[in-house]
Amino acid sequence: MSRTDLSAATALCGLVLLSAVAGSVPAHAQSAYKEAPPGPGDADAPGKPSDNRFAGPSPFAPQAPGVNAANIPDGPPAEPSEATPAVEQVSSHPAHDDWPAYGRDTDATRFSPLEQITPENVGRLSRAFVYHTGSKPAPGQVNKWAAETTPIKVGDGLYMCSAMNDIVKLDPATGKEVWRHDAGVKYASIPYTAACKGVVYYTSSSVPEGQPCHNRILEGTLDMRLIEVDADTGKLCEGFGYHGQVNLMKGMGESVPGFVSMTAPPPIVNGAIVVNHEVLDGQRRWAPSGLIRGYDAETGKFLWAWDVNRPDQHGEPAEGQHYSRGTPNSWATMTGDNGLGLVYVPTGNSAADYYSAMRSPEENKVSSAIVALDVKTGSPRWVFQTVHKDVWDYDIGSQPTMIDFPGQDGPVPALVVPTKRGQTFVLDRRDGKPLLPVEERPAPLDTDVKGDPRSPTQPWSVGMPRLGLPDLKESDMWGMSPIDQLFCRLKFRRAKYEGEFTAPSVERPWIEYPGYNGGSDWGSMAYDPRTGVLIANWNVTPMYDQLVTRKKADALGLMPLDDPNFKPGGGGAEGNGAMADTPYGIVVSPFWNQYTHMMCNKPPYGMITAIDMHTRKVLWQHPLGSARANGPWGVPTYLPLTIGTPNNGGPVVTAGGVVFVAATTDNMLHAFDAKSGKEVWNDVLPGGGQATPMTYEYKGKQYVAIMAGGHHFMMTPVSDALVVYALPDGK
Amino acid sequence: MAGLYRPRRASEWATCAVAFLLIVLGLPLLIMGAELALLGGSLYYVVAGAAIIAGGVLMLMGSVAGALLYLLAWLLTWPWALWEVGFDGWGLLPRLLGPTLIAVLVVFTIPVLRRIQKTSLAQKGIA
Repeated sequence: MSRTDLSAATALCGLVLLSAVAGSVPAHAQSAYKEAPPGPGDADAPGKPSDNRFAGPSPFAPQAPGVNAANIPDGPPAEPSEATPAVEQVSSHPAHDDWPAYGRDTDATRFSPLEQITPENVGRLSRAFVYHTGSKPAPGQVNKWAAETTPIKVGDGLYMCSAMNDIVKLDPATGKEVWRHDAGVKYASIPYTAACKGVVYYTSSSVPEGQPCHNRILEGTLDMRLIEVDADTGKLCEGFGYHGQVNLMKGMGESVPGFVSMTAPPPIVNGAIVVNHEVLDGQRRWAPSGLIRGYDAETGKFLWAWDVNRPDQHGEPAEGQHYSRGTPNSWATMTGDNGLGLVYVPTGNSAADYYSAMRSPEENKVSSAIVALDVKTGSPRWVFQTVHKDVWDYDIGSQPTMIDFPGQDGPVPALVVPTKRGQTFVLDRRDGKPLLPVEERPAPLDTDVKGDPRSPTQPWSVGMPRLGLPDLKESDMWGMSPIDQLFCRLKFRRAKYEGEFTAPSVERPWIEYPGYNGGSDWGSMAYDPRTGVLIANWNVTPMYDQLVTRKKADALGLMPLDDPNFKPGGGGAEGNGAMADTPYGIVVSPFWNQYTHMMCNKPPYGMITAIDMHTRKVLWQHPLGSARANGPWGVPTYLPLTIGTPNNGGPVVTAGGVVFVAATTDNMLHAFDAKSGKEVWNDVLPGGGQATPMTYEYKGKQYVAIMAGGHHFMMTPVSDALVVYALPDGK
Repeated sequence: MAGLYRPRRASEWATCAVAFLLIVLGLPLLIMGAELALLGGSLYYVVAGAAIIAGGVLMLMGSVAGALLYLLAWLLTWPWALWEVGFDGWGLLPRLLGPTLIAVLVVFTIPVLRRIQKTSLAQKGIA
């Protein structure tokens, strides 16, 4: 066993899990399934693999072809270093007309000072142009598309990525393509979803103005590269990494294409690009590492790594070694704080989301949390956990928003943290302490998963309005008729349900509510700093989960992606998963009638809320999204009733007093009066609007842009259209 | 004589079809409703299922009481639905919409069933 693994093993051997984990350390090194920790010793659970088709590759095995997508030479392992001193970036003080970052500004407010479009004239919006990215499934390809893109606008350019990471610059007035950089991402590299939430605008500190790559566009790709191109020409920046690219799979150990991916724009904080990545859920306990790394924005040079189970090693692993496997990954958009020199990392779960007995104490401290990393060193300065020992896939999907919290002695630098639970935490950015009361409340403990006890308490942000509805009751079950309603009542009664945090169960299904789509998922929130109003759209979508023994998981054909016998479709990220290397697999579906595909709980399934942060009172709240494109068996009803649909994608608020949000499964872009919450305009999009809109001004005209890429899991139509609206001329 | 009547006219065939519909819809209510009751859930469904099946069977036998039994079950569903969900429109929809549509169909069978009943009583009288 290697030295790296010995130290990881030492770290793993915490007090609580000592006995359980002792057995897993060799398993970690050799990846022998039979060495999984003792514990849940069902007759048909751990022990012997029933079939050697399910024996996984060693974490030391070489990476599969295509993992290092651009075949970039690795070079020797890098020691920690410091970033090239940075100049101030446009996102710190955005120009009035611009939207220079994913969340508009460094604070991620999604607030624009533009006021041309108002609740009074928004009804006259019409399409200025539609741009087609060209990225959608080819005939015969399984649809894994959900572009989720928010363009950025700086000066004379509208910059965005396609779902498959091609970078484009568009004319902000006409949508005409100025240049296109073909990223060459292959279909096999799509993880759960072909998504690219956005690109990053970076101004160089060393290249003088007027020369190529003074201003650059940076993106992280599905196949784990950082790419920097010149903002004027789209040509690769030779001075960055290896001819413009960095291979992020260096040091990750065994992997296959699609296992590890970047879908969110990495923030640049004081010259350091902070990189997180998605590790495909539900595959295996010893999946590739979920670590966070820093790279020099100027040169692409490695700066530091934060690897939970190697907390004191900030350099790259020695030759033949790899970062510690299975650690919590972070796939959400992070928020950078140049002033405090921190990056706020919204973390997810250790690999194998629904089984926590094999996690190290270090992992348990930082999963489903906000971790504030020092961008100079990669060391955590503080951690705030939103779920203890998460086995519900309550990873944080939202980008936290920085606000000046109205405190008693003046404004406090605060971080607003939306969660899938619908609990919104408000923290002091300096130390991570809650600014509003957080209560540790008792949580259900009853579980038949042996050796995997639950946390006796969980944190509740009682000082903020809850973005959620009361616990489910049998009478909340729904349908078109008494018969399908009864079917759902029966499903409800057959399952274990003790309210939020109902513990996993093997013997029968359990209801997970809120579900893993939120509350707040990746859409994040919008905050108007002038009025102190916070806008949030959220979901009411319970899930129906069950752990299955390894034998049953094998019978269901659940295999991890990197299994040599894996066939696509055998186990996805959001749904059934092998959770190989653990005693259990997981079977998950929405809590719905599987025959009609209607949710089992009654509407609404999606809501939008405005909260006054001065008083923490709800100003307005109502269901979001109409029934027009939804119905039993997926048949659209065309009913213009606001039923409240599931939604993915965030809101935007403007100084003109308009809230724009698409997100809903009615495939519409909606505009609300920010004061009253009244819906003042909407338009049907060519595909699902599962993205956050943005707004900008160009040559005196305000535009509103939405990527209508659709979302395969939300079952909305896929398209490659960016739809941009403006008021007609002369008004 | 207790037994099924032989439909002759179109209206009688239609009545027959409504009766079958009641049985077909009542069966899942009865079966799943029984399991729901055993699991500690609502008793409404098993009771309603039994009543609807009984109504359907009586209608097949040409008895107007079958239709009236369904209508009684339908009528009692209203206070139950209001008790469960109040005046919440989305909540009332699955509980009342379908049963009400069927109640309309059942109302149309009453004159037909009356005539069948009269004929069969008359036949009995003659016999």
